Parts: sequence; structure tokens; C-alpha cells
Amino acid sequence: MKQTAVVLILLFVSVAAWAQEEPAEPTPRLTLEVEPSELNLKVGEKATLVATVLDEDGNIVERAVVFFSRRRRSVSINPAGNVEAYRPGEHVLIAMLPKDPEDLHRRADALLTVEIPVTIPNPPAASVDFVALPSAFYAGTVAPIETRVTDTAGANRPDVEVRLETSDESIASLDELGSLSFKKAGMVRITAHAESVSGHIDIDVAADPVTSFELIASGDDVRTGDVVFFEAKALDVNGKAVPDYPVQFATYARPEAGIIAAGATAQIDEDGAFVAERPGLHTIIAVAGNHVARKTIKARMRNVRKEVEVLGQGPVRDRHTSDLWVWEAPDGRDYAITGTWGADGHAYFWDVTEPNSIQLVDTVRVDARTVNDVKITEDGATAIISREGASNRKNGLVILNVSNPTDGVRVIARYDDQLNGGVHNIFIHEGHVYALSNGRRYDIISIEDPTNPYRVGRFELDTSGHGVHDVWVVDGIAYSSNWYDGVVAVDVGGGGQGGAPNNPVKLGSYAYPSGWNHAAFPYKSQSTGKFYAFAGDEAFPYPKDDRPGAPPQRAAGWIHVIEWDEWNEPKEVARYQVPEAGSHNLWVEDDVLYIGYYGGGLRVVDISGELRGDLYRQGREIAFWHPYDPKSVTPNAPNVWGVQPYKGNIFLADFTSGLWAVKLVEPKKRFMGEPTN
Amino acid sequence: MKSAILAIVFGLAGATNARTADRPQRNYFVYVCAESDDTVHKLRYGPSGFAEVKSISVGAFPAETEGPHGINISPNGRYWFLSIAHGMPFGSIHKFDTANDEWLGDVTVGLFPATLSISPSTGLLFAVNFDLHGDMKPSSISVVETSTMTEVERIDVGIMPHGSRMNAKGTLLYSVNMMSDSLIELDTFKFEVSRTLSLFDSATDEDLLGRISMKVKPTWATAPTPENRIYVAGNGDNVIYEIDLEAWKIARKLDAGNGMGPYNLEVTSDGKLLIATYKSGAYVAIWDLTLGEELARIKTTRRIPHGVAVSDDDKYAFVTLEGVGGEPGTVEVYDLASKERVAVADVGKQAGGIIFWKGAQ
Repeated sequence: MKQTAVVLILLFVSVAAWAQEEPAEPTPRLTLEVEPSELNLKVGEKATLVATVLDEDGNIVERAVVFFSRRRRSVSINPAGNVEAYRPGEHVLIAMLPKDPEDLHRRADALLTVEIPVTIPNPPAASVDFVALPSAFYAGTVAPIETRVTDTAGANRPDVEVRLETSDESIASLDELGSLSFKKAGMVRITAHAESVSGHIDIDVAADPVTSFELIASGDDVRTGDVVFFEAKALDVNGKAVPDYPVQFATYARPEAGIIAAGATAQIDEDGAFVAERPGLHTIIAVAGNHVARKTIKARMRNVRKEVEVLGQGPVRDRHTSDLWVWEAPDGRDYAITGTWGADGHAYFWDVTEPNSIQLVDTVRVDARTVNDVKITEDGATAIISREGASNRKNGLVILNVSNPTDGVRVIARYDDQLNGGVHNIFIHEGHVYALSNGRRYDIISIEDPTNPYRVGRFELDTSGHGVHDVWVVDGIAYSSNWYDGVVAVDVGGGGQGGAPNNPVKLGSYAYPSGWNHAAFPYKSQSTGKFYAFAGDEAFPYPKDDRPGAPPQRAAGWIHVIEWDEWNEPKEVARYQVPEAGSHNLWVEDDVLYIGYYGGGLRVVDISGELRGDLYRQGREIAFWHPYDPKSVTPNAPNVWGVQPYKGNIFLADFTSGLWAVKLVEPKKRFMGEPTN
Repeated sequence: MKSAILAIVFGLAGATNARTADRPQRNYFVYVCAESDDTVHKLRYGPSGFAEVKSISVGAFPAETEGPHGINISPNGRYWFLSIAHGMPFGSIHKFDTANDEWLGDVTVGLFPATLSISPSTGLLFAVNFDLHGDMKPSSISVVETSTMTEVERIDVGIMPHGSRMNAKGTLLYSVNMMSDSLIELDTFKFEVSRTLSLFDSATDEDLLGRISMKVKPTWATAPTPENRIYVAGNGDNVIYEIDLEAWKIARKLDAGNGMGPYNLEVTSDGKLLIATYKSGAYVAIWDLTLGEELARIKTTRRIPHGVAVSDDDKYAFVTLEGVGGEPGTVEVYDLASKERVAVADVGKQAGGIIFWKGAQ
């Protein structure tokens, strides 16, 4: 018998929130009945809701009822009440009786609302399979067992509980976490049960062939942050390596004297890559079945610390500064260009040939509220600045002759065709500008003749809800930063896949769970030859503080280090994270990572050698510095936007105080409470 | 022959506020969006003059201009709703409490949401996804359940829907498609387009929604008047269109003049006066709808007039001016009886969306 939802509500028109509202007349007592009162549908099934409005005497009243779904992509309902189920889950449909449209008193709530719960169960499991199995199993060892459940709709179902059983506990036993312990040689069947289906594997457990087990390290006297590769060699009686012999690694340490309550002292990965975070003696243990091997190595402090000496400032105190670019112009002098944010469309040109005497040499003003990005061509003769907030909403790019900024900067062209959504970031590579458009894609514009720019190509993802924030091009490959879609590498001439500026071809991508991907810097390590993408976050999960004089809003996020030698095999291996601040723009040069870390200031990090784990905790941070300016409109509020190393110095753009030039110097000896980097 | 009564009054240079003798006897409150400052300003015009009461910071990314664009008040006055144009990449609708301007929640909608209206019959909010900077393809109107801030439907409409307003019953929404030269009527109970009208010709074909046409470039549709008319701003052809809703056809064309670019419109509650912002010409115009004549055209104190809102007693019109670059945005107050500007106040950059909140003693 169908259940009927009967909602009886006596509702008067609500009195308006303010005194001007006239009091409402009472509304008649009505009920809204919806049949059925709840639904249980399989994926793909349909149903119909019937809504009836009754007066207090039980007479049917002709009134329009509005239907909608709170999760329309999982279950839909049309105005006639026809329902269709798409995706499993617990959902809610709404039947709403609007207030009498003839009653024109101001109010905004329906007269009656009925919620109809809809349950769409997951399709049943169709199969359960064992995955990622090693090629051999040995008595005395432990192996984790992985299974995958697939339902009748073909979906992977990690939510389905899997129960494992062994046919012979004397050969193989299972613990509560699904690890299989092989006790002796012999045949054993392992069965996995998921709902009403099951699957099994028959395992031939071999006798333990290992007669020799040793642990070899690639180094034994290292610094914190240096990666040591440990290899466990399990050999049989013939001295041959035993294939797929399962090895687990562990580590413990005796930190250097004076370091007490050190916290985690090191990490070791499943592949045997070890990296120390604290100086001291580190013992690495390899366990394989009944075999144990250990090796102790010494880790010294990395000692890369430098201090920062301020050389000069190009102050911008009455408005926010955005990005910067430093270059040598054809006139032989060094210049920097900085943009402005949320102001009047200015870009500033500075002579930084003498960093301790930065001089403003020219200013350009364009129709914009924000000049978000500034870039210079490789020959140093042309600048391109991006526009946001133009008065005519056309935005786009402005192209400038900067071959001799001291003699003046000239606007030579403007380009806004299909870029009116605001150009948030740009990059110049081999005669082309890669310009973000509307936060969705980037356009590729030829500036081989900078007075006559024209679009040659475009790249846009086709994922649902895609967006793009930045792009950086190196050696004919464009690396864009795409929030939830992560870093995307595209062949625009250098990727060997037939790509070109007029024919961009996607090579690969890497996304991480937070969806915060905001910037990326591709880099080939000088010390190891490995290729990395350093991917930077931008996020503001903390609330704003709107009190006068409050510091800039606190950011979050970090730098993700992605090892990427093969386009289809990116692997995130390390991070650099300042817990109390958030990252913005970054630059990598000579195996050093430079970061504008917003409220965390300038950060300089040693990224030489192999990279694994938490680079901050390993003592790889070379230096940090905060630009304090008491004369700024927002005094003493460092908020570093971007950074660029240049001719041995470091230039940075600070949101609240302008352009700075600093350099790294040898540190003074300081006692920091315990031995430290 | 009717004589055109046209008074062009040039704003006094440097005027900043009302003369004491001209000030109203009660207070009038408006909310104004500053699209390039990511702020919403609450202003009061009353016996003490015209000034900002409060500045509310909106958006989540301090280093990105997210663009508050459209704003409206719930019919019961308890909440104000704001469209924020930009995100990652989609825009969003935000809900605030009018009692203390506290943020209560948000929901992601489509690209560059603009105008929004709340039905007094259902409480559902309808926001057009303007998608100003996107490709020339049909966009949508998002339907939001405001009690849970959930998008419950997205209705396909024409290209670049912009100005939209609802009838008093909250059963029909009128919206113009700026790059389809069309007006739609949307049934807010059935979530579907019930009628489409071409402003370029007299066709009423469904294909109008996908048509690219930029002759009229309509940017605004008013709420229906007591005479069952709405008015559409033809920003591209400098015409204000009067639409007969019963006949569903263009009843009259009011010529704003070459180069004026009418942008936003508002009609007094008695249906007698229409106030228009002329974006390109930098004027505010006041029309007598009975006579079909422009009564006044007043040069604005700053460039790029944008939004207009009329007070609940039809005495005043509040107009926003975007300004250029680093200039502040501005709000002007016009006395609809004298057809003069009576007050001016500066707010954040690129003042645009505006809504009248309430009048109070």
C-alpha cells in the first residue's frame, strides 16, 4: 500500500521584517498530500509523484505545485512530477505549494513544503578481484592483499566490505587488516566475499628460498635532506636474487646530542628511499619474512642556512603591487617591471642595475584596475602587460617597447580579441604570448611582429568545470595550472608529439586532491637530471579580518614536488610547506627554489639532489625574509606575491610595499636552543 | 502636436551632498556593489544627508578581484543576495542577513552570474548566468533554493542573459538575452521558458535562444507595471522598448538618442515614470511613460552610469556610476519630483548593482 504523506500546516503569511509592511490577512488552512511519500528506485528507474492540495474540508483545491530536486544530477523531477533515478545515494525531492500569487504582501517562503526522501541503492556487486598481486609467495613472509569490487554498473566500489578467508590456516592466515601471513609451503586458496559475489586466488606458497639477506645503502655519511636509497638483497642458495621477495622498511634514530623530544627524525618509503630530518645516527631495518637486516648511517646537519641582506627598495606604498619581471634590456642596463592591483592600471619600470639604488624610470597607465601580470620577451625589447577591470570591460593585453626604458616606454599595440574576460596571467615563449582567457583556457598569440599580434591557437581542457590560473612555457612545452585539474603539460613545439603553437597537444597531467593548483614551474635538476614540476597552491581557507589595521588575510597551501620523467607517470615525491602561511608564485634556478609565500615572506629552498618528503623539516630552507615597510598604506604587512633570482641577487614583489632587492649572505653564528640547520 | 519637454540639467561640478533644506524626512537605505573592490556598501539618504553606513567585504580571495555584480533583497526583507561574477571559474550566489550583514552561505552557479530575483511565492531565487566573457553560445538561469543555498535547476536561455526582473506575484521572470536580441518569459513554477520575443523582428521562434544577433543588445528588463508592460533597454540601438505582456509584442519604442546606450531601467510603482541610465552618454534620463517623452536628461558626475533603483515611495532614484580606473564608484540620488540630483556619495571602485532596501523613520 502506498503511503501518503500528509502535511498539515496552518500557516499565516509572515509579517515583514520592517515596520513599513502592512499586516497580512490569514491564509486558509490547506494540506499538501504527496504520493508516494518516499521512493526507493534503482538506477535508471522512473516514478511519478502525485501532489494533491486539500482544503480543511478535504476538498481538492486546484493549485500549482512546484517540484524540484536538491540533487538533480542524481535524481530528477519535472513539473509533472515525473522522477528518474541516475545515481546511488540518499536524495531529497521537494514538493512545494507556493503562497497564493494573488496575495501581494512581501514574503518569500512557500506556503507548504514536503520533502520526499529518495533512496537509490548502489547497484549490487558484480565481481570481486584480487589486484596488484606479486609474482611469487614465500613461506615466512607477509603480503598485503588488495581487492577491487566492481558493481553491475561497472563502477569501482571501495565502499563495499570485503571479507577474506583462507582455505588452510596452517599455510596462510589473515589478520584483521587484510595482511596475509604465509606460514609454510603449500597450496592455499584465498577467497574474497563481497555482498553475494566472491572471487578467489590459488596460491602456491613456496618454501623460503632466502639464505642470505643484506641491506645495502647508497651512502652512509650524509646530510639531512639527502636521499639514501636502501636496497634489500634477498639471495637464494645459488646467490641469485629472489624475485618479488616482500620487504618492509622501518627506521629509528638516535638524534644528535642536545636534541631532545625531536619528533619524527626521518622517513623511509616503500621503495627504500630514506631521508633524514634530524642529524644523528639513523638505523634502517629491513624485514622480510624471518629475515632481518639493519644498517646504521650518519646524518649531519645540512647547514645550508644563509641570511638575507637588503639591498634596496622600489617603494610602492599607496597601492598594491602584483607581479614582477627583471631583465637586461638591449641598452645593457638591468630593469624590473612591476604591475599594480586593484588600483588605476599602472605598471612601473625600475632601473635595478644598481640594486641598492633602485630608480623609477617610467610609468605606464592603461585602462584597467589591475595589471596582474607583466612579462618580457627573450630579447628584452618588448613587454606585455595584462589588463583586468577595464572600464569598457574589454581587458586584453598591452604591448610595449622597452628596449630602452630609461629613455621611455612606448605602447606599440593592444590586443583584446576574445580576451575581454580579463587576462589573469601570461607567458612569452619564442615569439608567442600564452594568455589566459576568462579563467577557462589560454590563447596563443603571435607577437613575431609585436605591432601586429594575432591569435594562432588555443588550448582548453574539456573536463567538467575546468578552469586555468597560470601558464609557464619551457622548451616548447606549456605547463598550465588548472586548480582541480592540476598541472597540465601541452606540446607546443617541443614535446615531440607534433604540437605547435597553432596545434597544442596534451602530453599529460597531474592533479592533487586539494584542487588548489595555482602555479607551476617546470625544472630539470642540475644535480640529478631528473625532471620536476614544482606545483604551487593558492588558498584562503581562513576568515577575513576586516578590522582597521588588521594584517593581510592569511593564506594556506604549499609547493608540491612532482617527479615527471614520463608524461604518463607523474609522481608526487616531496613538499615544501610553511604551516602558518600559504604559497603564491615561485621560481627555480640553479637547484634553488624561490617562493613568494604571501605572509610567509620570501622563502629560499635548497632542492639539489634527490627529493623526497618534507623539505622544510629536512633543513633544506636556505633563508626566509619578510619585507616590513612602516610607511606603506598597510604598514608592516608583508605579503610577497612573486620572486625572481637575477644576477646573484633576489628581487621580489610585495603586495603592500612594492619592489625589493636582497641578497643572501653568510649567516652569523647563532645558538638556536639545540643543534639545528 | 505634443511638445517634447526636455530639460537637460548639467550636474554641479563638485557637488557632494544634499542641501539641508532638500533632505528627506525619512531614511532610505540602498545596497550597492563595488565590482572592482569586492565590497558591498550600505548607504543611507535621510535627514542627516547621504552617506555610507557600512562597507561589507565580500569574496574569498584577497588577491583576486571576484566581482560582486548583482544584488537583491528577499521579499520579506530578511536577507540580501549577491552574485559574484568570478571563481574557479564559476560564479556564485551569496546570502547575507540584513539585520547585521552577516554572511550566511553561498552556492556555485554558472559563469558570471548577474541579476537575480527571489519569488515571493516560493522563496526560490533565479539568477542569470551572464557569461559576459565566454563564447557566443546559449547560457542559462540558475534556480536556487535559498533556505539551503542549493542550485536545484539550470534553465537554458539565450546568449548572455543580463537584466531580469520578476512580476509581483513571483510567477514569471522576464530576462533579456544581450547577444540574442531577445526577451524571454520564464515560468518560475515550471522552470521553463514560456514565451520568447525577438526584439529585432516580430518572430517568436524557439531558435531565437541560440541566435547570435547584436542589433539591439538588450541589457535590462523591468518588472511588469500595473499596465502589464515591461521596458527593455536597447543598449546597442539606443531604444527603450515597451513590451505589451498580454499581446506579447513591442508596443512602443522610446528613442534615447544616438550614442546614449541605455543600460539599466527602473519604473516607479505607479507605472508613470521610467528612470534610465545612459551608459555610453553618461546621463540619467527620466521618462514620462504616459506621454512617452523624456522629461529630463541629467549629466552624471562621473563616467559610466550603471544601475538604478527607485525608493519604495517613488520619490527618489538612486543611480550608480562605475568610474574609470582608480576612481571611486559613485552613487547619486535624484528627486523624481524636481528631476534634479540632490545628493552624491563615493563608494568602492566600479559601483554597479544596486537595490533599494527599505525606507524607515
